[in-house]
Amino acid sequence: MPNPFNINTAREGDLSVITLEGFVDAHTAPKFENAVQSEIEKGHNRIIVNCEKLSYISSAGLGVFMSFIEEVRDKGGDIKICGLVDKVKSTFVILGFQEIFDIVDDQPAAVQKFSAG
Amino acid sequence: MTSPLSVSSMEALLESAHLLHSSLDLDDLLKHLLRSVMGRLLISKGLIAVSEDGVMRHALVRGIPKLEVGEVFDEEAARACGIELILPIGRADSPEGLLGISRPLNRVVEQEEMDFLRALLGIAASGIGNARSHAQARDLNEALDQKVQELKTLLDLVRGLTSSLEPDDVAQLLTLTLTGRWAIRKYALVAWKKGHPPVLRLRGMDLDRLADYRNYESEILELQEAVRVADMQDGSLKEMLRSAQAEAVFPIVAGDNTTGGLVILGPRPGNLSYSESDLEFGTGLVAQAAVAFENSWYFREAIEKKKVEQELALAASIQENLFPSSLPKIPPFDLAAHNRPARQCGGDYYDILLNPNCQDDRRSYLICVADVSGKGLPASLLMSNIQATLRALLGRIDSLTDLAAHTNELLYASTPSNKYVTAVMLDFDPASGNVRFVNAGHTDCLLLREDGEAHWLKATGTPLGLLPDMPYEERFIEFHPGDMIALFSDGVTEAQDEQENEYGEERIVNFLRPIAHLPAREIVELVFEEVDRFAGTSPQYDDITLFVIKWPKSVESRK
Repeated sequence: MPNPFNINTAREGDLSVITLEGFVDAHTAPKFENAVQSEIEKGHNRIIVNCEKLSYISSAGLGVFMSFIEEVRDKGGDIKICGLVDKVKSTFVILGFQEIFDIVDDQPAAVQKFSAG
Repeated sequence: MTSPLSVSSMEALLESAHLLHSSLDLDDLLKHLLRSVMGRLLISKGLIAVSEDGVMRHALVRGIPKLEVGEVFDEEAARACGIELILPIGRADSPEGLLGISRPLNRVVEQEEMDFLRALLGIAASGIGNARSHAQARDLNEALDQKVQELKTLLDLVRGLTSSLEPDDVAQLLTLTLTGRWAIRKYALVAWKKGHPPVLRLRGMDLDRLADYRNYESEILELQEAVRVADMQDGSLKEMLRSAQAEAVFPIVAGDNTTGGLVILGPRPGNLSYSESDLEFGTGLVAQAAVAFENSWYFREAIEKKKVEQELALAASIQENLFPSSLPKIPPFDLAAHNRPARQCGGDYYDILLNPNCQDDRRSYLICVADVSGKGLPASLLMSNIQATLRALLGRIDSLTDLAAHTNELLYASTPSNKYVTAVMLDFDPASGNVRFVNAGHTDCLLLREDGEAHWLKATGTPLGLLPDMPYEERFIEFHPGDMIALFSDGVTEAQDEQENEYGEERIVNFLRPIAHLPAREIVELVFEEVDRFAGTSPQYDDITLFVIKWPKSVESRK
């Protein structure tokens, strides 16, 4: 497999950083969903999803973002997306995600967004 | 009459031509046009209307607070607001738009200025045309991007579903895909198949009561296709969906009415509604998932079935151990027996037990062939019951008639009224060769004399466990050297050939006569072969049991 899927979760201060790598498609989206779910269950509602190494995302992968945004915002948190490469970014834009999510260039900018608001 | 344009007009035209053709943004372009005109002629009120589907609408308004962008252009209203000069942009018979301006401050528009305006508008017309074609192409591209995205989504879902073996996995994939495609935050899904727990997946919607899908089952099954909640027929389902702020529903349509389901989607962001083409696309995704749901349920059933088969095999092997593993040697007699169930587990039973009450010099045996009503697992349970009953009673009860009567009472008390056992029971005394028997509703068994004469051991009582307080009579048989007793179940005499003819008593007697001299083991084998030959391709319908007791004529013939 040229782009194996990988997912990592780390804590940076009071933020959770989930790093996606490779392909998030119908096969791998459930793992992504479980990772976000487990952060929320721990009470970690301020989440950054780092997509610097994400090479493809399908609708099912995007569905994970939609599945939790309501819940984390209700709890005073947010999901911020950073590091999208152009090809992946166009998928987010076509489906209108930039109107719902803060999409920033890199992780420091995402951290900045959290501290700003 | 045309007057030559001034150098400065020519310069302005040139600059505008350059600008108007370098921008493909309609808004920029119109702003530049109006700015140029108003600046050049020192005009304070101006508007541009552009043709949209044959209707002129205000695209840009300056200095006229009463008129708004987007309104349909109305010449009278415009003139009332101070617009005096209205010129077509492009060809007069089918203009791209209109330019309306007020009179220049304190003067009329000069001829040279008119010429300049006409020239400018001519240039603007082609610029506007370009910008519009560009916008159209961009819209088309966006629509194409959406379609490409839809196709990718469908392919991705189909690929994912092929590896989803659990209904919950299918539900997860489908809902993630739909919510991702349309950026939806609230949804619910219920899917069911009779005999399986329903699948329920909820996010952001208070629809726990869907778990009791039966309350809405008929309304859901009536939904033939995807529909916006607003367009649904009134009813309890619609009411529930509205209270949950659902906007569109997709029925999960499977093969028959034992399966069904519903995908419920909440609002899309930015007040977008679900278009017809959205509903079609969603229907396609849901149809793929419906197949995957079916498959996952079938897969589960196949696993369950496999488990049941394994348990049946275990039951069959336990039952096999209820038969005597070998028959006792009782010289000079020659005994053989065999049972073959029609299914994995059977309801026939044979046994031979030494009567524990007997003294050493007078050993007697109980020999029994029984046939339980019904077949398969229920029959085999009853068969193990009678086996245990007989073994428990034997030794505590002396006479064969009491044994039959007692067994009848015990079975009657412990079985439903439509379950019973027919049995032929022999009390066999090897020392004297005396045989006594009770036939409790069993098929007639055979005593074949040395000279070929057949005697039938007919019923002497009712089947065991059928009716309470039944009497059983005992009959005595004179057993001689050269004679043979064949106890069988009705699987032998009632075996059917392809034309549904029964094998019958006459055939079994005629078959046994010429082979009666053979050892008992061979006779048993030959009878089974004979019954199979007679049945041909028709399947074995009933369990088959045969117990042969021979008294060979002399020591020589036994060898």
